Amino acid sequence: MIKSQYIISILLFFPLLLIQTTIVPLLAIDTVIPDLIIILLVYYSITQGQIYGSILGFTYGFLFDIITGSLLGSAMIAKTMAGFTAGYFSSENKQDQNLVSYNFALIVLLSSLIDSTINAFFSSINFTSNIFLLFFQYALLPAIYTAALALMGMIFYPKRKMF
Amino acid sequence: MIRFFVSVWENFKEYIVLVILLIVSLILLSQNSSQGIQKVRSIAFGTFASVTSVFTDVFNISNLKNENENLRRTNAEMMLHLSRLREYAIVNEDLKGLLALKDSSTFPLISATIVSKSLTKSQGTITLNAGNNQSVKVGMPVITDKGIVGIIYSTADNYSIARTLTNVDLKVTVKSERTRENAVLKWNGEWLVMINVPKTFDLKKGDRIVTSEISSIIPFPLPVGLVYEIGNVEKGIFNEVKVQPFVDFQKTENVFILGIVKSKEIDDIEFNLLNRQ
Repeated sequence: MIKSQYIISILLFFPLLLIQTTIVPLLAIDTVIPDLIIILLVYYSITQGQIYGSILGFTYGFLFDIITGSLLGSAMIAKTMAGFTAGYFSSENKQDQNLVSYNFALIVLLSSLIDSTINAFFSSINFTSNIFLLFFQYALLPAIYTAALALMGMIFYPKRKMF
Repeated sequence: MIRFFVSVWENFKEYIVLVILLIVSLILLSQNSSQGIQKVRSIAFGTFASVTSVFTDVFNISNLKNENENLRRTNAEMMLHLSRLREYAIVNEDLKGLLALKDSSTFPLISATIVSKSLTKSQGTITLNAGNNQSVKVGMPVITDKGIVGIIYSTADNYSIARTLTNVDLKVTVKSERTRENAVLKWNGEWLVMINVPKTFDLKKGDRIVTSEISSIIPFPLPVGLVYEIGNVEKGIFNEVKVQPFVDFQKTENVFILGIVKSKEIDDIEFNLLNRQ
């Protein structure tokens, strides 16, 4: 029997994507926007483990690509890798610590960095200019913004289950 | 043997799952243009957009909506007429009027609101609340009163997805309105650039750039932007020209879809010509 938690994690994707595509663009700082889906993915990867994180990332990526009209497969690979990475921090001993402390924001930063780097790679951008500058703009800035948002969540809702 | 596989699975199951998922993703990556995928995509974003549009409407001031729409329609029509008049002026200067060029008279405009945006740095797409039922077709230009926004990429019954000019996968043939020289415009992730522009081209900062008639997707001059900077001047045989778009893609909320697609007859003639060569 499928755990209700698994279904909830999929269902939560849709309202989050709704916010991501309607409200989040209003929060853009010079085209840099946070990725709310990564925050949800990291949460479930930490709580449910690495395999679940990978599969959930794959599912989120598929739904994101198919709904937003992105190149099908690009977000799938990016989010699968992000979920896999976040799943490394799903150790039972440190799970609570990773969820309610600043560690959560750091894990979001790492996963988001991987996600945006892979997405940038699939965008076939001209890298002849300055690869470090492009990495900074395409990967690091959105990752920091996403992590900052996760951090705000941690500050406003300390020691409380997120979902 | 079974014990071996069980042992491998137990030790490396996370990596095995990861590799399988990545292989499936790569397979789907190569299937992007298949009919099946397009159909699934059409149903998925059509369904999602119908929910999004309700959500988006909450942010709109309803009593001003109709009035705004009428004003925007007038603006867009005036922009098209202005663009057309500029063309006529230049054509007259070159005595092309003597050729008695045919005039395409009306430009059907389909009003649409952006219900969601996916404005990543490189893959800008917008979802519009107009689709097959409003006669929207793949390849139709999306415009505002300021100029071109993008091209319709996929359609569902009541919704469509358009690639904006800030999408690395969209390349458009453009020309300088002053010098009549053509080049390919694309988004490099940071700027709209006209690529492989020969150094002999007489482009200057501030020149107005419009879409070119030789474009395979927009057979009509639509405003794109102004020349902002001419790069690679000292090395190489080509210049790269940065273009500042007229349209602010972040702030655009309402658009028009220009109800034209390039004539199939022209496409067929060009295709046959290429086949004969």
